[in-house]
Amino acid sequence: MRRPLVTLAVTSVFFVPLYVALVNVVKPSALIPGAGAIALPIPPTLDNLSAVLTDPTNLFWASLANSVIVTTLSVIALTLLSAMLAHYLARTAGRWGRLITVLLLCGLMIPPQVILVPITQVLRAFGLMTTVQGLVLFNVGYYIPFGVFVFTGFLKGIPADLEEAAAIDGAGRGQAFWRIVFPLLRPATASVLIFLSVWIWNDFLSPLIILGPGQGTTVTTGIYRSLGQYSFDYGGVFALMFLSTLPVLIFYLALQKQFVKGLTGGATKG
Amino acid sequence: MRVVYRRAWYFLSFGAPGLLIYVCFVLVPILLSVGYSMTNYSLLRPGWTWVGLRNYELLLTDQAFLTSLRVTTILTVMVLVAPNLLGLAIAVLLDRRGWFYNAMRSVYFTPMVLSSVVVSVIWTRVLDDEGPLNQALRFLGVADPPGWLSDPDYALFSLGGIVSWQMLGFCVVVYLAGLQGVPNELAEAASIDGAGPWTRFRRITWPLLAPALTVNTVVLLITTFKIFDHVKVITNGGPGTGTTATVAFTIMQEGFVENHQGYASAMAVVMLVIIAVASVVALRVLQRREVQL
Repeated sequence: MRRPLVTLAVTSVFFVPLYVALVNVVKPSALIPGAGAIALPIPPTLDNLSAVLTDPTNLFWASLANSVIVTTLSVIALTLLSAMLAHYLARTAGRWGRLITVLLLCGLMIPPQVILVPITQVLRAFGLMTTVQGLVLFNVGYYIPFGVFVFTGFLKGIPADLEEAAAIDGAGRGQAFWRIVFPLLRPATASVLIFLSVWIWNDFLSPLIILGPGQGTTVTTGIYRSLGQYSFDYGGVFALMFLSTLPVLIFYLALQKQFVKGLTGGATKG
Repeated sequence: MRVVYRRAWYFLSFGAPGLLIYVCFVLVPILLSVGYSMTNYSLLRPGWTWVGLRNYELLLTDQAFLTSLRVTTILTVMVLVAPNLLGLAIAVLLDRRGWFYNAMRSVYFTPMVLSSVVVSVIWTRVLDDEGPLNQALRFLGVADPPGWLSDPDYALFSLGGIVSWQMLGFCVVVYLAGLQGVPNELAEAASIDGAGPWTRFRRITWPLLAPALTVNTVVLLITTFKIFDHVKVITNGGPGTGTTATVAFTIMQEGFVENHQGYASAMAVVMLVIIAVASVVALRVLQRREVQL
């Protein structure tokens, strides 16, 4: 009988920062500094939210638009390209396939800081520095090992006979892949979509460096900028954080089951 | 001939597009980093000179760099231990069915979808000198509570605590999945043989959680080693000189604020070597433990 009580107590302590994040959205800015951060918002106010939504500098809406564009384009490109590359690797035996697999696996642990200095040079060479396209291309290159890793594991369970049968029926390799194999990969596609969306949406360092100060912000760099801009308007910062997190939070709550399943795929195989 | 042609077309259409982007934006930059690290390249100055291993020699006596290695090591050890231990304890606590435990689980999972920037801003308020934590401590009779983020002796540990809070949910998920894979029959059989709860945990559950421990440790290692966001938002490397400047933060500082691109690249190469060695060693050691079962 003690278990629920202990659980509730421990979880409440863990919950305090989340409570702070929520409660300050509807609290007047003046009441937030110091211990006020934890006080109940009495009376609650919607001023912070409406101020952020109608801010003349348009920080929230512009950041939201950038984040939506960058995340959507990156995730679509990543899903398609990594599924195809994984298919190529799963169906290509021998040294060549293994070499590419090992090169991609190395990419899973490379910290972005190691490559960002030269990345800015590469992007400048292509004329893509401080552009959304540049950031999308970087995301695709940086996260493709993860996509390939997830899809390859799944593709191994799908027999090649299936495509050969389709080939006999006259379908080309591309057709066989998109019509027959890709739909079967749905659970892997779900994992890739969910994780990459959350990671790219929340990414701070690469938009900070690649988009730079002049070219608009994503939601994360927008929050960072607001720390200077609204330095004493804590309520504004909390409202901005809440609105910026809302899309990903809804996405997560809707797909929580798949999210957890995706996370634990590697941990339960013994 | 037709076969060769078809295989080439297969590579060009399926393999090449993704691979090309990976090569351009990951592999080539790594090679460029190694190249830059042997030059005095800087964006502020046209041209550059080859300096051989000079940058690496400088690193050996660079106090800022050595401090950043120490800071990163302390942070990594904290974040390897705390979320792993607490995550296991909480997973054991939550390993029950029903709406109540499901709701509690959601609380731990939520920080996983929060951006590090958001987490950093929240904790900056909580750990403020006059913030809720210190007010609570004063209320409990601590006359002079520490400046969690403003005191150089505490800031690094506070940072470790914040990162641990954010990573805890991940460890809980992975341990919960591991626990669900432990067959009940084993525990029941041991129980009949007279094993108490601790013995059952020590002899049955814990060994069967070995794969979960491997996943958590490797992910925590790779994540903590590249911690940048929290440092940038919360402390900007301070308080004082570099008390919370991680290697990742120092590289960005050298590369984009000081504009010492060559020198920053040398740091990046050292970081890459350390993380490669550390993750391979961790993986080997932990997987050997799994095989022995």
